[in-house]
Amino acid sequence: MSEPSCEREGITMSTRLRAPVFILLLLLLAACRPDAGSSASVPASGSPEATASPSEQPVTNYPVSLTDAAGREVVIEAEPMRIVSLAPSNTEIVCALAACDRLVGVPEYQVGYPADVAATVEDLPVVVSFGPVDREVIVASEPDLILAAGNELTRSTDIEALTDLGYAVLVLYPESLAEVSADIELVGEALNAQVEAATVTAGMAERVTAIEEAVADADRPRTFYEVSIFEGTIYTAGEDSFLASLIDVGGGDPITGDAVTTAITLEDLVLADPEVILLGDAAYDPTLTADAVAARQGWDEMTAVVDGRVIPLPEDILITRPGPRIVDGLEALARAIHPEAFD
Amino acid sequence: MRAAVATGEAARLPIGITLTRTVVVLGGAGLALAALVVVAVTVGSAQVSIGDTAAILGRRLLALPIAETWAPSAEKIIFDIRLPRVLTAMLVGGGLAVAGTVFQALLRNPLADPYVIGTAAGASFGAAIGIAAPLVLPALAIGAGSSLLGLGVVQVLAFVGGIGTVLLVYAVARGGGRVQMVTLLLTGYAVSAVLAALVALLMFVSGRALGAIFGWLMGSLANAGWVPLAFATPLMVVSFVGLLARWRRLNLLLLGDAQAASLGVHVEREKLRLTVLATLATSAAVAISGTIGFVGLVVPHLLRLAIGPDHRLLLPASMLAGAGLLVLADLGARLVPGGGIPVGVVTALIGAPFFIWLLRRSRLLRAELAA
Repeated sequence: MSEPSCEREGITMSTRLRAPVFILLLLLLAACRPDAGSSASVPASGSPEATASPSEQPVTNYPVSLTDAAGREVVIEAEPMRIVSLAPSNTEIVCALAACDRLVGVPEYQVGYPADVAATVEDLPVVVSFGPVDREVIVASEPDLILAAGNELTRSTDIEALTDLGYAVLVLYPESLAEVSADIELVGEALNAQVEAATVTAGMAERVTAIEEAVADADRPRTFYEVSIFEGTIYTAGEDSFLASLIDVGGGDPITGDAVTTAITLEDLVLADPEVILLGDAAYDPTLTADAVAARQGWDEMTAVVDGRVIPLPEDILITRPGPRIVDGLEALARAIHPEAFD
Repeated sequence: MRAAVATGEAARLPIGITLTRTVVVLGGAGLALAALVVVAVTVGSAQVSIGDTAAILGRRLLALPIAETWAPSAEKIIFDIRLPRVLTAMLVGGGLAVAGTVFQALLRNPLADPYVIGTAAGASFGAAIGIAAPLVLPALAIGAGSSLLGLGVVQVLAFVGGIGTVLLVYAVARGGGRVQMVTLLLTGYAVSAVLAALVALLMFVSGRALGAIFGWLMGSLANAGWVPLAFATPLMVVSFVGLLARWRRLNLLLLGDAQAASLGVHVEREKLRLTVLATLATSAAVAISGTIGFVGLVVPHLLRLAIGPDHRLLLPASMLAGAGLLVLADLGARLVPGGGIPVGVVTALIGAPFFIWLLRRSRLLRAELAA
């Protein structure tokens, strides 16, 4: 499998970028932290100039009131030291902010984590698998912050019930690269880890810019991302979805399915005639290869199949998990669409 | 005296009822249920000691002056999560079993269950709209997060959908001031088919809400809480009292419409009232727990075999047995690690094979009696 190599790449990349990122971070702090930090958390006391000083690190003053992705006002009374994560992406965000040791409950699904995260979560109580959360285990783990996922990934009934039980429940549901960064910064503010969050997001921004520049002058092939084929229904990136925007940033022209069901009919797909086919589902099913796609009825005439540009993408988890490693996913996507741009 | 009349009627039925028998059956079922409830409140995915559990319940329910030596989380687990869930299981199980008993008698059909004339399909449709609408039309999302007097939109829509569908089915099936029970069954089946298709359509376009709708259709007590319980309890009490008061008329209806009418039963009026009362219990149950299968089908059959068809004993016994069965099934469902599995899966997994065993056994029994 090529996944481990990809992760190693991500680590070396971030080490190499540390110095420029630090400079960028200082610039960012000078530019935009003052009003966000002072107006939200410092009532009246202390002049804004004092917080704006680049030598001073931004801190969260508790209690802090944050607005989450679901538009809810969430008040966090004190710096959270016992965090329950209800989604793998949330777990990765917490760990990227060097707060892995504060996790006290995690989802059962633990596939595709970087080694440090995997080592941390392995012995933690499981609070959710596929259905509703285990409310008893969550309460027993005595969390002071619960990080949920939006759009029914964490059921709204569970979010409501946990809030009613008196917990601070922060809902994260990023639908673009900018929102992933915003969510990381939101968690950073919640955890009093704003410096770490700014470092992570600045690093991500820099890499996105590098990828955008690499594919800027290349042609934009019609790209079809196969999420899965289930009972004959083909699922791909939905219209205006996060995945479609990633393909766009990665230098492809995304062929999209329905905005809600994310399904596309074979007829529409043949009509769209993809020039590149990316097999995201190959990450979970090794029998999905270019040959397997060529053998499918109705697929053999597509330009991508004829040109031999059907590419299995084992990085599917990185691409579809909206956490700090989303840029690794984006890079894998861009490299698959434009291998020539990354030589 | 009433008892004398009852004995006279009971003589016509295969098994008579005596005071001793009533006390033994209901007392035994009641004690068994109480024991089950104690176990169910003590056991869960999180560990709270039996002593702490008893102390928490004593303090919160009986206002006993017990010092708080346990962690606050233990009190939340027992009092805010586990106790309302066990009570909900009791209420829903009891309600479904009683409603099933009534529908089986009313429709004189052994396959009848509380859902048979459209309650399940109607409630599912209501719930599916409640779950999917905010995701399909984001403008509605504002309403979904907030709740109506602390009660979810989904629960209200499910309740209204269940009651509304049965009333619709009843009105459609009515002809010449009479309702033929076969027509009622078939109409219920047809209306359910339409609603089931609409639910399937909603599921197909619901995207991320698919899991939530699917979970609801399988039936789950994971969302049990004090507020939904407070919503369903009065409805259930009205239904229970109304149905228990009608035990004699239910017995007479078993003899057939003409016989019942000749014995002074206002047949059409009673059918409607019994249908509405049983639907009230079913819809209240479905609204707070989704469509949990088999409890309302199996429990009445089991008890009829065990204690006979006299509704004076059958109705309260069904209530207790249904309550106990669902408490037990939910205990199994929530002990599965990672948030548990839907209790509807457990009731069907246990209920269906048990039902088959029961059918075989009763056939053998009948063969023995005939010989």
